[in-house]
Amino acid sequence: MLVSLKTVRQFVNLDGLSAEDIANGLTFAGIEVEEVVTLASGTNLVIGHILECVAHPDSDHLHVLKVDLGPKYGIQQIVCGAPNAREGLKVIVANIGAKLPGGEIKASKIRGVESNGMCCSLLELGVDAKNLRKEQTEGIEELPADAEVGNEDVLGYLGLDDQVLNLKVLANRPDLLSLYNVAREIGAIFDREVKIPTYEVKNTFTTDLKVGSETDKCTQFSGREIKNIKIKESPKYMKEALLAMGVRSINNIVDIGNYVMLLTGQPLHMYDKDKLEKAELIAKSDFSCDFVALDEQTYKVIPGDIVISSNNEAMCLGGVMGANKCAVDENTKNIYIEAASFDGASIRHTSNRLGLSSESSQRFVKGTNHYQSEAVINFASNLIKELCEGEQFSNIVVYQSEKKPESTLKCRFSHINNRLGTDFSNKEIIDVLNRLYFKAEQLGEDEFVVNIPEFRLDVTCEADISEEVIRILGFKHVKSELPALDTKVGGLTLSQSRLRKIRDYLLLNGLDECLTYSLLSKENATKFNLLHDEDKYELLNPLTDEREVFRTHILFSLLESALYNYNRQNKDLALFETSNMMSKTSRSEHLSIVLLGNKLERDMMKKTPYDFFDMKGLVEGLFSLLGVEASRYKFERYSSEKEELHPGKSAKILFQNQVIGVFGELHPIALQALGLNKTNCVVLEMNIDPLLNAKVTLAKMNPISKFPSVSRDLAMLVDKKIPASDIIKLIKVSGKGLVKDARIFDVYEGEGIVKNLKSIAVNIVIAKEGTLTDKEITDLMDKIKYDLAKSFKVELRM
Amino acid sequence: MKNETVIEILEEANTEIASASTSERLQELKIKFLAKKSVLMSLMSELGKLPPEERKSFGQMLNETRTKISALIEQKETEIRKQELQKKLEREEIDITLPGRNADVGGQNPFYVVKDEITDIFLNMGFEVADGPEVETDLFNFELLNIPKDHPARDMQDTFYISDNVLLRTHTSPVQAHTMQVAGGKPIRIICPGKTYRRDDDDATHSHQFAQIEGLVIDKNINIGHLKATLELFAKKMFGEKREIRLRPSYFPFTEPSVEVDITCANCDGKGCSMCKGTGYIEILGGGMVHPNVLKMNGYDPEVYSGFAFGIGIERVAILRYGIDDIRKFYQNDVRFLHQYRKKA
Repeated sequence: MLVSLKTVRQFVNLDGLSAEDIANGLTFAGIEVEEVVTLASGTNLVIGHILECVAHPDSDHLHVLKVDLGPKYGIQQIVCGAPNAREGLKVIVANIGAKLPGGEIKASKIRGVESNGMCCSLLELGVDAKNLRKEQTEGIEELPADAEVGNEDVLGYLGLDDQVLNLKVLANRPDLLSLYNVAREIGAIFDREVKIPTYEVKNTFTTDLKVGSETDKCTQFSGREIKNIKIKESPKYMKEALLAMGVRSINNIVDIGNYVMLLTGQPLHMYDKDKLEKAELIAKSDFSCDFVALDEQTYKVIPGDIVISSNNEAMCLGGVMGANKCAVDENTKNIYIEAASFDGASIRHTSNRLGLSSESSQRFVKGTNHYQSEAVINFASNLIKELCEGEQFSNIVVYQSEKKPESTLKCRFSHINNRLGTDFSNKEIIDVLNRLYFKAEQLGEDEFVVNIPEFRLDVTCEADISEEVIRILGFKHVKSELPALDTKVGGLTLSQSRLRKIRDYLLLNGLDECLTYSLLSKENATKFNLLHDEDKYELLNPLTDEREVFRTHILFSLLESALYNYNRQNKDLALFETSNMMSKTSRSEHLSIVLLGNKLERDMMKKTPYDFFDMKGLVEGLFSLLGVEASRYKFERYSSEKEELHPGKSAKILFQNQVIGVFGELHPIALQALGLNKTNCVVLEMNIDPLLNAKVTLAKMNPISKFPSVSRDLAMLVDKKIPASDIIKLIKVSGKGLVKDARIFDVYEGEGIVKNLKSIAVNIVIAKEGTLTDKEITDLMDKIKYDLAKSFKVELRM
Repeated sequence: MKNETVIEILEEANTEIASASTSERLQELKIKFLAKKSVLMSLMSELGKLPPEERKSFGQMLNETRTKISALIEQKETEIRKQELQKKLEREEIDITLPGRNADVGGQNPFYVVKDEITDIFLNMGFEVADGPEVETDLFNFELLNIPKDHPARDMQDTFYISDNVLLRTHTSPVQAHTMQVAGGKPIRIICPGKTYRRDDDDATHSHQFAQIEGLVIDKNINIGHLKATLELFAKKMFGEKREIRLRPSYFPFTEPSVEVDITCANCDGKGCSMCKGTGYIEILGGGMVHPNVLKMNGYDPEVYSGFAFGIGIERVAILRYGIDDIRKFYQNDVRFLHQYRKKA
């Protein structure tokens, strides 16, 4: 909302307050002033008349002028470089000592010729170039021939002696879309006198206009007929006020409509009476038709749109735009004037659907005062009388379907102070509310009553009253005090702290923690979706098709981040993200990891490409971090028809026999598709909810044996396809009781080994509660070797 | 005569051992002077042939000489070993300026640094961390927060809809309603960090996805002074002990009164600079007293209970703290960006 201070000053005493004072006052009362615009500035200005214009003897573009500045300043010589300077022109002159936005004007010699002042362009007075025509920015301002020479109120003459506040009107204060209410607000903040004029234009005849509403979307409709008006240009004050508040001047009748709306907040609509076939205006919301609006465009009207009809034909799209058919034009003589109340939600739907938004529709959408239409019509009538030579005014016909609601509210002083943490006196509270037109009155010791002004649509309860008090008296009165609350344990829950632990673990392992968007394109939402590629939420109103599905996996997004870096020459990456995933059927915390290129080392002496086992190690580390024993999870080969993971180098993670994750090296086809064919990439997607919530029992101490253990190595050749874990398992079963541990320490296949075989070396730790004899050891090893040979057809190498 | 030979041997041994510089040479000398076939040892073996009166004194002399030579060799041996070890150590010297092994600790998107830090500040004040879904119902995102259908405030937040009644939450405030409904009338002290979504085109200052930390305290006799003190403490911990806060009236449908909270600009200490547009203050969060309607709708009697709530923009805090110039940087994950940030100890 743009507020012209020159206009608002007519209604509230602003003496001694600068625009900045007012802006600060409003801002700290909850009405943010986003900007203070000074239309123009300059001191020591005067209107001059160029009597003589000759070329500067020493320049090809400067002129030497003799300018008549009126009796006070006489005739002065001024050197001027403007191309449009010429004899006979009336101009703005900045005298010696004048302070302009660009600096102070001093007497000087320009290339040897004395100059006592400067002829100005509006640009030099600080007028925003966007409000000027091109020629106005290229030369000095050309004033009309009748401009009075010697007039020192140049800015006033130009209508540029105004400052404009740009208010950010929040949704709860639509009343501030009225200059009158802004004046009231300023009056309350600075405790100044406010005078809002009221007018009454008596009716001279009785109209046969019928008004009404057949829809609950229009609760109030008032109209008046006015005869014999003259359409012409608006007076200067009105044009200037409208311009300052961002509205273009059209003609007196349109301008009056806008001016009254800006001042009162009530949108008006004017109909050319003679273009209507029937003397009726009825609000309806069941029309379905084509509608040719004032802008000569055709719009589709559908049921739900508020239509003002006459003779069952749409004459106005209520609150949005009038019909071309009955528009006021330069020949209009007789009019109907409308002041109505429409349902904001309907106006919003219509206005959004048709892409039509105006000062009027915005006011209806935000909410208007339903009980001032007669006063507003009288105000407009008064202006029509003055400016349009309107002579005959009818009675005001009114349709009103709702009663004025109860507007009194009982409040307690103690309640207000308790909510605010203040100790305002009863008098302070009563006074401040009265400044805000709440007509507060003390009832009992702790009780008072307020009358909510009809324009304050936002105030309905005691809490609202507390806000009125504090925003005017100021938050500086609030005592800052920490709440005295019961002591309690607080802190993170077990699963919250486990998530932190997991993130810290990955950071300590050198992985970078990423953040990516939750919305993906339909296509991308299924790519690399290894766990939950179903039941995804889709947006009804996406901004772009790049972001229309709520993701159920992180991996695609993390791969995108990896690519972003890879394409910027950061080719060795270890990235992770944890994030909450939601689908129509589930909600869970996911972890995704991407390892790309070579292992991150501080040195670059050896380059080890990331592989399957780096990821597997991280996963095993996660389980161990949270104290989950190896027996509770396992890895199984992953297979999928999608060519996303390498079929031989990928695995599922099973925790308590549920698949909770998938990881592996990318499929060569996937690498190719991503443009990563020159490197290698290992990825993981894992639902970590089961881990975050896993029950972990405290380990009881196991006594450590006093007897030394014995270590034996076993190497064998076996079929390539036999999993190492099977061999370990067999050794442990075979040597049950004595074998305490068995671990693979070497695997080799290739040169020197028969095709389809691999060489595996295992270290076996043997111990018992007692001293082991050589025989016991030899017997045990023989048994293991026998069992291995029997089960796997192994060829033992030592 | 024999005595003289022994003396000569000792002298010779003395000289040669002294001039030996390697353990090999010393080994040779050991053989030369102390082996069975050495002069000294052959004299020793011939002792028996000497007359008994000479035998004792000459034998003693031989023994002493042998002991002396042994000692000399041993002494020299220690010396040489020490020298050789010294040389070996010198040869083994490495370039200690070469980098150590293993990766550095990972970089952390500043988003998480700030999120965890804010969370910890409130955890230390006795808050708990609550959680809520990002896909929300209209009921929780709007209605239970005093934003009925067609409320003008809905225009403030352009919403991504999944169906007429399901949407991506536009703020973390629905967690207020969830928490109240679960707490069932008991006092509450929670924060909720979380992702939120609005239908905004992405540019340097707007993002269709961003995150907030919601705070909610409900108890008997809670007032704005408590909100102010809590946020003051937060501002000092987050932005430095010298920061002051200022409350400005504002509007949110679910709080009444509502405030915007400004802190003194860290760049100029409140004197006014380009960062704070000359005002000395920077807006960091919004809050207010929980609206009585919200309490009522979620099972609390506003005559008995009152509460305050606030919402902090995580990216906004990170942007202010680190001078990040473009909100999209949080979502690009350029590792050169991530590596600038690490968790504070």
